[in-house]
Parts: sequence; structure tokens; C-alpha cells
Amino acid sequence: MPVTVETPTEKWAGKVREITLGATAAEGGTRTSTVTVGGEGTMPFLHFEGETPHRPVVAIEIYDIAPQDWSPILMDYWGDVVNDVVAWAKKAVELGADAIALTLRGAHPEVNDRSPEDSARVVKDVLAAVGVPLIVYGPGAPDKDNEVLVAVAEATAGERLALGLCEQNNYRTIAAACMGSGHIAVARAPIDVNIQKQLNILISDMGLPLDRILMDPTTGALGYGLEYTYSVMERLRLAALQGDAMTQQPMICTAGHEAWRAKESKVGEGVPEAWGDWKERGIAWETVTATSLIEAGADILVMRHPEAVAIVKKTIDQLVAK
Amino acid sequence: MDTRLPSGNGQVREARRCAVVFKPSGRVIEVPAGTLLLDAARQAGVSIETPCGGYGRCGRCRVLVESGDVARRDTYHLTADEVAQGHALACQTQVQGSLTVFVEPREAISRRYRPQEEARAAQIALPLDGSFICQPSLRKLHVAVEGPSMEDNTNDFDRLGRDLVREYGVPRLRADLPVLRTLAADVRSANWDVTAVVDDEEPQLPQQWEEEMGETGVHMEGPTRLLAVEPGDTTGRALGVAVDIGTTTVVVYLVNTANAQVLDTASAYNAQISCGDDVISRIIYSQRGDGLNHLRKLVTDTINGLLDELAKRNGIELRDIYEMSVAGNTTMTHLFLGLNPKYVREAPYIPTVNLPPAVLAADLGIPIHPQARVKCAPGVGSYVGGDITAGVLSSGMFRTDKLTLFIDVGTNGEIVLGNKEWLITCACSAGPAFEGGGVKDGMRAIPGAVQEVWINSETLEPTCRTIGDLPPQGICGSGLLGALAEMFISGIIDKGGRMRRDLDTPRVRIANNIAEYVLVKAGEQGAKRDIVLTEADINNLLRAKGAIYAGFSVLVRSVGLTMADVEQVMIAGAFGQHIHIEKAIQIGLLPDMPWDRIKYVGNSSALGAYFALVCREARAALQAVARKMTYLELSADNSFMDEYTRALFLPHTDINEFPSVGRLLEQTRQKGTAAVKA
Amino acid sequence: MALTGLQIYKLLPKTNCKECGVPTCLAFAMKLATKSAELSACPYVTEEAKNELEAASAPPVRLVSIGADGRKIEVGNETVLYRHDKTFYHQPGLVVRVKDTQSADEIKAVADAVCGYCVERVGLSLNVDGVAIENASGDTSAFAKAIEVVGSNANVALVLMSSVPATLDTVMPMVADRRPLLYAADAGNWQAMAEVARKYKSPLAVKVDCGDLSALATLTEDITKAGVTDLMLDPGTRSMVDSLQAMTKIRRLALRKNFRPLGFPMISFPGEGASSPLEEVAAASQHIAKYGGVIVLDHFDPTLIYPLLTLRQNIYTDPQKPIQVKPDVYPIHEPDANSPLLITTNFSLTYFTVAGEVEASGVPAWLLIADSEGLSVLTAWAAGKFDAEKIKKAVQTSGILDKIAHKRLIIPGYVAGMSGEIEEELPGWEIRVGPREAVDLSSYLKSLRS
Ligand code: SF4
Ligand code: FES
Repeated sequence: MPVTVETPTEKWAGKVREITLGATAAEGGTRTSTVTVGGEGTMPFLHFEGETPHRPVVAIEIYDIAPQDWSPILMDYWGDVVNDVVAWAKKAVELGADAIALTLRGAHPEVNDRSPEDSARVVKDVLAAVGVPLIVYGPGAPDKDNEVLVAVAEATAGERLALGLCEQNNYRTIAAACMGSGHIAVARAPIDVNIQKQLNILISDMGLPLDRILMDPTTGALGYGLEYTYSVMERLRLAALQGDAMTQQPMICTAGHEAWRAKESKVGEGVPEAWGDWKERGIAWETVTATSLIEAGADILVMRHPEAVAIVKKTIDQLVAK
Repeated sequence: MDTRLPSGNGQVREARRCAVVFKPSGRVIEVPAGTLLLDAARQAGVSIETPCGGYGRCGRCRVLVESGDVARRDTYHLTADEVAQGHALACQTQVQGSLTVFVEPREAISRRYRPQEEARAAQIALPLDGSFICQPSLRKLHVAVEGPSMEDNTNDFDRLGRDLVREYGVPRLRADLPVLRTLAADVRSANWDVTAVVDDEEPQLPQQWEEEMGETGVHMEGPTRLLAVEPGDTTGRALGVAVDIGTTTVVVYLVNTANAQVLDTASAYNAQISCGDDVISRIIYSQRGDGLNHLRKLVTDTINGLLDELAKRNGIELRDIYEMSVAGNTTMTHLFLGLNPKYVREAPYIPTVNLPPAVLAADLGIPIHPQARVKCAPGVGSYVGGDITAGVLSSGMFRTDKLTLFIDVGTNGEIVLGNKEWLITCACSAGPAFEGGGVKDGMRAIPGAVQEVWINSETLEPTCRTIGDLPPQGICGSGLLGALAEMFISGIIDKGGRMRRDLDTPRVRIANNIAEYVLVKAGEQGAKRDIVLTEADINNLLRAKGAIYAGFSVLVRSVGLTMADVEQVMIAGAFGQHIHIEKAIQIGLLPDMPWDRIKYVGNSSALGAYFALVCREARAALQAVARKMTYLELSADNSFMDEYTRALFLPHTDINEFPSVGRLLEQTRQKGTAAVKA
Repeated sequence: MALTGLQIYKLLPKTNCKECGVPTCLAFAMKLATKSAELSACPYVTEEAKNELEAASAPPVRLVSIGADGRKIEVGNETVLYRHDKTFYHQPGLVVRVKDTQSADEIKAVADAVCGYCVERVGLSLNVDGVAIENASGDTSAFAKAIEVVGSNANVALVLMSSVPATLDTVMPMVADRRPLLYAADAGNWQAMAEVARKYKSPLAVKVDCGDLSALATLTEDITKAGVTDLMLDPGTRSMVDSLQAMTKIRRLALRKNFRPLGFPMISFPGEGASSPLEEVAAASQHIAKYGGVIVLDHFDPTLIYPLLTLRQNIYTDPQKPIQVKPDVYPIHEPDANSPLLITTNFSLTYFTVAGEVEASGVPAWLLIADSEGLSVLTAWAAGKFDAEKIKKAVQTSGILDKIAHKRLIIPGYVAGMSGEIEEELPGWEIRVGPREAVDLSSYLKSLRS
């Protein structure tokens, strides 16, 4: 006896907010291309249920100085360009970056202690060299982050950069800087749905419009807490779809940074044979970390190895195909 | 006719002039229609108190519009009846025509708002529904016994017993040796006209309750014990004490069990505080050397000190007190009885005993009558003790059909959910913040404690009231709760509890690297020093309220219900004589529901101990309640952590759970916020 | 539909007699609701109540097992769509496919590799579960030979792939005792396939084309009626996006609508839609996260299998358990023998916050993580899981003593009260009290330095 199955579609009350990174000349910036993410009205890629108007994008991460602590696999791949941030940025775009994620590591007091003004200049140089949108991270020392990002924000007003990180205990300065110069704030919470939402509320209470806040749920790499990030992202997306206006921000994940910190990708010697080939493993580690996050609802992936980027972009092609 | 005020800055079309007469001063002013009544009063030189700054929050600017047209915004501070009578909030009302307005003199207002803290003991009354009949297990029975003779050579004890059965139906009389040793002399010196002091050993549970609650496992019958024989008829006064041993505070009620009247009460900090703020620290302390003994002595000393105070004040002898009814959490009960609480703390968290036996006062070093029994309320487990069964008892929730949520806000916050059919409970560590502990200028709810706070949203200036209107010395639970709510609503702190550092007010300052708000400056209201609330204090309060909100959220969900199913909420705790329900909702301590469903029941544990003292059915019910309660362990439960983080926000991460607060914030925002520093 | 604790309670005797091993009937009801107790533990439930409760607790996704004692794949019995709602219970089996057109040596190499592969991760050894043998040649004897090669040396679960029932009937006697999964019944062969499955009591995969779920449900209804109930579903989708949608629909229908015809675990073939091994890995990781039951891979390479096994372990970790990190010494910023030593608990959030703040401070330091069973500082302290003894044990057994030349330990500010006890447990040590909140660590550590 034939059975007819009805498609089990969920009716959602809300959707993810759309956010555009980068501004073209017409919009008051200098980008030749911009990136729009968000807008999803379904759990990831269930096209029978709701729209996925924009594909997830990949940003390639570069540093303003040659990284000291990156895996040799990465350093080998990039070669000399790591010494020249402008060349590095251009190469990354050639290799398929939809956006550049620039970490101003050189400004860290323990590294080169580069001044806020000089750091802002680096950002301007990169802006001049590439046409894609920019995500700019501070050096990772709270006070200096604030100084540097304020300088960057002012020097690049109107470019609609994404600036990070706004965290629970340090969000006001960066959010205010974004507010004044038309940038987007990256709000990072420590793998916690509630804290993420609270942070979004606090930032939006300051007056930064919600279409200028990205959520960074904090990425756990494969084998290092990936499942927590995965579930937090699913919960955030579900809440967004259920109409919770304060969780409807698109999500950005630092898959590259985390995956390449894992022992599996960082270390080649003295590890079990069952781990297989080092280089391939590193790339697979980043790939699986990134694709899993895409399945959980990531909108922007910040990645490091171009071969992993290529596979991830292909995966995205497959997933957005109707 | 009243017309609704347009929200926001309503446009007034015609600038009609209206004359406003203020009584009793008789001052008159002419203002354009649309003027706020409050502004009109100011222009007329009539002073109206505006603690909240004219935001419609405090309700203190209430006036009576005797005649004339006004337009008013809705307010929860006035009932429909009051509105019909013409009452209005001056800050929420526009002049629409010529008016006569009566402004109550200041003293009258403060009298109306004075909480009943002055009326202390008199407040405690038996529940009106008649659940508890005054039938104490401690009784004084007067008999005029026919003396012995050659014909009737029954021994003294049986002779007395025989009359007690005949006249009072006392079953199976028993006595301990010390009583018998003096019995012969006692009866004869009184010429056989004596009052027997007796105590029922086993509690009795009325048949009807038994049916309601199902099988309770509580025994029904038991012997009666003779405690003493007093000469003549002394039945008018049978003294007992009810004691609540809190982790932070100890409270003693002196009661005449003959008529259930509370004669006096006294309270003090539990002297064990010197060995740690919370139960865990005390347990740890008890494991060191003579720690257990020392803690036992400290709490006994505290109680004895209070007994002395009561005896002195009331001119009584301690020997005349024949029963002590105690309620305390499991750790406090263990320490009081000298039981080792070690395993209360360690998983799987097992107390020595849930239902301690009645103990001779003399054995515990309590100097009341040596035959007096000390009876502790039974507990459910390590983290839900006799204080909670006592609370459930006094709240009456174990006999109601209504789904009731009972919350005891203490150092350890305990929560009970249920009705007469079932009861489920959990405990969450809230910290002592609401009892004034762990807060820089926190204190107990005693005279001189700030118990009410309003903050003007524009000037950010506070208005404080203390218990007894004495010079402020610190802030008690209800004051902390109010201050937190006011600082939040007026925008001094953000939803995460962080103080805004860019506000243009000297009240917010940085001291020792921590931001603080000065609630009372030295000199204000006669204060000797500054009284402040620091960011760290706010964090502690947030954690306390977060733990409690999370606790009952998880509890409600654990049985598959939602907050909307809860029909009434009873809140207990050492906040003081009263708490502002609306403030408790504003900070997200209590669920956002109509206020009439929420009731503050004060120190329910002490009240329960009192009920058990004056009513033996109540003591039996305590046992039934303890057996019936199901304990839910929250620790190591992720859903609790999740709810807790959700609740660590003002009022809550999900504003949809607090619609009334959302509306209030919206209104406040529309009026604009306080000035920011240039 | 699952009943709530209160609904179950209403069906129990309500006498609180404690014989079921918990203090009250309500407590027992709540355990039943979370499926952590058996109804039979209460001797006093009435027959009616029993029937009602049993009907309500039938699993919406059938538990199906493949293989015998050696290595067994057990999948199904799932109760949630999202792991955060409870947990995913039965991790998917990962099997590697060989074809009977390959040489015996090739087949043997794969089977040996699969059988011998084992990798240790967080104290657990992770394995590949089985081998699928496909009758690609169409020839029964070649198929039998391939099965022999795999079956003789490998103690792994088997999937036999052939669309010809007679072929399966012929080879089954070789391995019937190992309860292989038969792949697959379809609209054309289902009667005969069901017959074979019934004969050998084997689980049977059911397959349709391109995600036609109505056809799939029709088939499973028919086959169940024919007496075979251990089924696995192949919706026939092969691209990532089609698989995701079909598999999500199947799981949703089973859980949300309690739709029995699709209440079975699923089998999938990530390699069939991929053009490179790495793409296969990407697809397979989707199937691990999104409802795969048996995942048939076309490549075996440790480099690629290891991430998948790790992902499977991650996704199937119980999210209700407190998140823990390994108790150990964590160096931050290359500390030396004189760098400060901090201790805290192994609740992951505690660890991440503390480690993050120390990292941000730029001060090189040793972070010692004590085993508090995943509880945060205050909770652990309250429960006696972060006391002086535990701290002593962490200091003495973690290996930190070989790494530092001083005896100064910084404890969290919240447990300042313990410093005396710790000094007693660790004679000669100086116990310093750090800040209560991690945020203040940075300035604290810097102040130590100056
Ligand atoms: S055994 Fe049955 S009746 Fe007894 S307590 Fe347990 S559930 Fe209740
Ligand atoms: S309500 Fe009118 S001043 Fe507060």
C-alpha cells in the first residue's frame, strides 16, 4: 500500500539579519567588491524550508608581521609573502579569499609594540592593495586592542570594516569606534549562547545598529571543543529562526586559527603513526573544522591554508546548490 | 472626563489657560492646558516629593484631583477605584481644565508608606483559613486531686495520671526520674492543687490531612510525658520558644503556647559567622580539631544570649520555658545537635539523620527547664533542611490545590514547587548577598538599615528610607534589591551590571579601582559615613538573584511545566519586613507575573517553627511534608548552568520573560536618560 | 510522545515507599521520564499504568545492530534532532567499501588496515567499524571470494552489497553468524530480499532513488509486514545538499511526527558524490553530524580517517556532562622555572577564561589544572572536589615539580579561605591568593612581576 510522506517543514518566525562587509566608492568606501552574509530563513541549507540568500564566505587570515607561532606547514605554503603584508593580502585574494582577515599582531606590546597610528597605516596599505572587504583584529591585548582599533576605525571611516574583538568585559570602546566610523563590530562570547546574546544586547544598547554586529561564538577546533561551538551555533541559529531579534546576527568563525593550533596540525614528529601524513592531516583538520561549522550555521569562516579553503569553497558550492 | 495622554511628548493643540487651585495651601496658578500637574505645582510653589524623578515609578507624587479635567497615563500605582475617586500621579497627569487639587502633607504620605516594621510580634497570627488550631503538644493541665487515703492508696503518679485521664483524656502518662524525685513533695506542698506540665511525645496528624496528602507514614498515637508539676493553677501561661537557626541570622520567638501568642522576638547574627559565611565553610571548619564542638558552642551561645535578652525584657525565668521548637537547614541542625556534617558536603551528600529525635534541653546546654524538649524540624536531605519543611508548613502550600512556588532567599536559596499532591524541591547556592553579607555596606534588616531606595532618573539622586527612620548605617536585603532595581532602571548600570563611568554625577565614582554609587553621603540623613554600592556588590547581587531564578526555572521545567502554570509565588527570606515585589521583578529575581499572585511571607522558617510549637498537628505535618518532598540535585546539571548564565543579566537575557520590565525600560528610554559627561 | 515526569507520576501509586530505590514516586517518575530507570523497579504499578507507560516509551528510531560479538555497529534509538537537546546516543558506524572486482591482495590490504586501525584520543581508542563488500562484478563466485578474504581475517562488521537476492542467499551461509547488513532491497526485489533477510535474521537496507521518501516509506511498510523489522534506510541521495535534506526529513518525521515507516537508522555513501578523498571527508563529516547511521567510505587513509573519528567522538559526546579539560600542566607564553604557578579547576569554561586571561596578560606562567570532575571553582569547592588534598595531589602528580624552581602557588580568590589548609598539606609552600575574577588576572600577574 503506497504511503505518502509530507515534507516536515518547520515554520520559522524569524531569520538571520543581513550584513554587508565593505563599502564601494558609491557607498563611501573604496572596496571594489563587497560581501553580504546572513538572511537565512532555515536551519543550514534546508532549501525546502527557507531561503539561504547568501552563501557563506571565506576570509583568509594574514598578519601584519611574519607570524612567530604558526605551523611550519603554513609557513612553507605561504613562503616569503608573510614578510610583506601587502603581498600576502594580494596572494590571498588570488587564492580565493572573499575577504581578508588582518590581525595586527605587530601592535602587541610583547611583540613589536607598533603604534596605533602605524597599525592604522598598515590597514590603509592593505586596503589600497586589495579590493575585497577587510576584517581587522587587534593584537590581542585588551588595552592595546582598544587603542589600535580606535585609530584604525578613524583612519578608515566609511570602509565598513569588521573590527574585533568586542568581548564581555571590553566592548564599549570598540563598539563606540564602530559606531562613529560606520564599521561593523565582531562580538565574541566564550562558547555560550547566553553570553553571546547578552553581548549583542549590550552593544546594541550602546546604539550600534544590529546590522553592524557579527557574532563570533568562539571556535573550538576539531578534537578541541568543536562540539561545543557546533551546538552553541545551532542553538543561536534556532533562536534566531524562532524570532529572537538578539541572536539574529550572522556568525563568524576562526576555523583556521583554532585548527592550526591543534597538536595534530602543528606537530609532525613524535606523533602516532595512525595520525597519517602531517601536511594532509593539517589541511584535513582545518577542512573538517570549517565544514562542520558551516553545517552548524557559520556565515564567515576565517581560514589559513588555501588548499583547505579550496575544498571548503567547493563544499559551500555544493551546499548552496538548489 | 479623563482622556488618555498621548505617549511621548504629546502635542497640545490649543494653549488654553487653566486655573489650578492647590489645597490645603490654597495657592492658585494659571497654566496652559497640557501642563504636567507636577510642573504646575512647582510653579505654584507647592512641594511634591518625586523620589523617582517624575518617571511614574515610585507613586509618591500622588495627589487628589477634587474637580476638573485631567489626562493621565496608566499607572500601576493606582487602582481603578482610586482613579475613579480622583487620585492621580502628579508626574503622569496633564492639566486639561481648571482644577482643584488636594496635595497630602508630607507627614501623612510618609505615614501611609511606612512599612509595618514597628508592629513586630503582633503581626504574627495564625493563618486565617483555620488550618492550624491552637493545640500545642506542650500543655498545662490544672487538676485538684483528691489526696490519698487508706481506702484509696493509689500511688502519687497514678493518682495524678488518673485525674488527667478523667479530665483531659491524657493517654499513657510517663515521667522521667528527675520529675518523680520531686513529685511527692511537689504535690503535697501544693496540697494536691497542681498544674501538670505535659508534652505529647508523638505528633498527631488529623485524619482529613492524611486523606488529602495520601499515605504519609507518620505515626498517630504516642504517650504523654509529664515534665513538671507546678503548684496551683498556672494554665494561663505555658512558655515555649521557636528558634530559627539561619546560617547568617538566628531568630527566637517567645511564645505563650496556652493562647499561641508571640510575646516577643529577638534576633542576632549567628556567631558561627566568625568561622565562615556559608554552610560549606562551616563544615570545613568543623572538620578541624575541635571545630565541631566550637561551632556547636557558638550557636548555643547565640541562642542563649537571645534567650537571656528575652527573659530580661519580659521578666520571666528561663526555667519556665518548657519547649523549644527549632528550624534550621541541615548543616545548622547538625552543628546545633553536635552531629558531624562531613558527609553533608561530600557527594552523594548524606545527612546523619533527617528527623532528629526530641532532645533534652539540658543535654544541649540550653538553660530552659531541664525537662524541656528541643524539637528540630525534619529535613529532606543535605541541602533541603528543616527550615524549608518549616517554610512549606507555614506557607500552607502543602494543603493547596494551586500550583505554588515557594522561594526562600537565603545564603542557600531553596525552592519548593508543588501543591497538596506533590512537592519537589531544590537548593542553589545564592550567597548571603540578600542578607547583607558579602556586600560592602550590607547589613541585617534592623533599625538603621536602608530598606527602600528611589533614584531620580534625571538627576541620579537617591532617596532612601531606613528601618525605624534612624540615621542610615548600611543597607539591608530589601534596600539592596531596591537599589539594584533603581540603578538599573535609571541607567546607572547596564544590563550586565556594569556601572556607566561616563555619567555626569558625583554619585558615581571610582574607589580602589572599583566603580561605586554613593547611596548616602556622610552627613545625609545623619549618616556617619558614606554608604555605597560597588560594582562588586552588584555582581554578588546578580549572582544571588541569578542562582535563584535559575533554580526555579530548572525546577519548573524538570516536571514538564512552564512558569505560566505557576498560580502563586511565596517568597520568604530575611529581607526585612517587606520587599517591593515590583522591584524584585525588575531585577529578575521573581518571575514577571501579576503582583497579586506573589506574596512575601517573611521569615517562613521561624514561622514554621512557631506553628510546630503551638500546634501538634503542624509538627506532624512537618514530618509528612519532609517525607513527601522530592529533592532535585542541581549541581553538575548543565541545564542549571545554562539558566544561571541566562539569569545573570538585568532583568534577564530573554526580555520576553519580563514583558513588564521591557515596557518600563521602553518608557524610560522615551523620556530620555541622564546626562553624560562631556 | 514522551511523557513528562508529572504525567508519569499521576500513573504511579504515590505512596513514596522507596522500594524502587529512590525516595519518592515523583523522583522515580522523573527518572522514567529521562529514561534513566526501568519501570519494573516499582513493584506496585498497575497493569493499566504499565501499558500506558510502555506505549509512550517506544523508541521513535529503531535500534538496529549489525555484526556479532567481535565488532558490532549499533545505531538508532535517537531521541533528538539537535545534540544540545539531550545527546546523540549511538554513533554511526564507519565502514570502508571494497569491490569484488579488486584483486584479493588489494581487498586484503584494505580489510587488514581497517581491522588493525586504532587511534587513541582522550583516553578512548577509536576504531573503524567494518568493511562493505560490493558485488560490482555481478559474479557470485567473485563475490564469495571477496567475502572470504575479508571475512577470514577480519573481525569487523560486514555490509554485503548486491541487488540480486539469489546472490546474497548463496553467500550468506559463509557469514550469516556475523549478522551482516544486506544492501539493499528496492522496489524491484524487495520480496525476495526480505525473504533472505528473514531466513538469516539479518538487518536489511532499503533503498530508493533520489530522496523519494514516499517510495521509501511504502517499501519499509511492505517489508515490515513481510516480517523484517531491522531495517536501514538509503534515501538514494548522493550530493551533500540532497543528503542533508533527505536525512533531515527522515529524522524529523521519525522524531517529531513519530512516523514509524521512516523510524530507522540510515546508511550513506559520501564518496559517491565526491571528486576527491578530501571532498569525501567533507561529505562524511556532514553525515556524522547530520543523522548518518552507517557511513560507507570509499577511501581508507589514516590521514583522512583520523579527523572523521575525532569528529564522531566530538559530536557524540554527551553535552549534558560538564565540559572538562584534561587535568595537566599548561604552559602559557613559554614559562621558565621561575614563572608563577596558578591552579584552577578543570571545568572547561573556567580553564578557557583563566587561560585566556593569562595569555592576554603576556606574562609567562604555568597553569595547573586540578581534577575537579568538571566543576567550576566554587561548585567544586562546595562539593569537596577542589580542596587542599586535591590541590596537593595535583601539585605532586602533575609533573610541575620538575618544571619549576620555586614553591609558590597562586590559588583562585574564591577559595582564599583554604590557604591555611593548603599550607598544611604542602609544607614549605607559599600560598598566594589570586583575584576572584579572571578578568583581574592580567593586572595581578603584572603586579607580581614588578
Ligand atoms: S516503588 Fe513504586 S510506589 Fe514505591 S516509591 Fe517507588 S515508584 Fe513509588
Ligand atoms: S511616580 Fe511621580 S514622582 Fe515617582
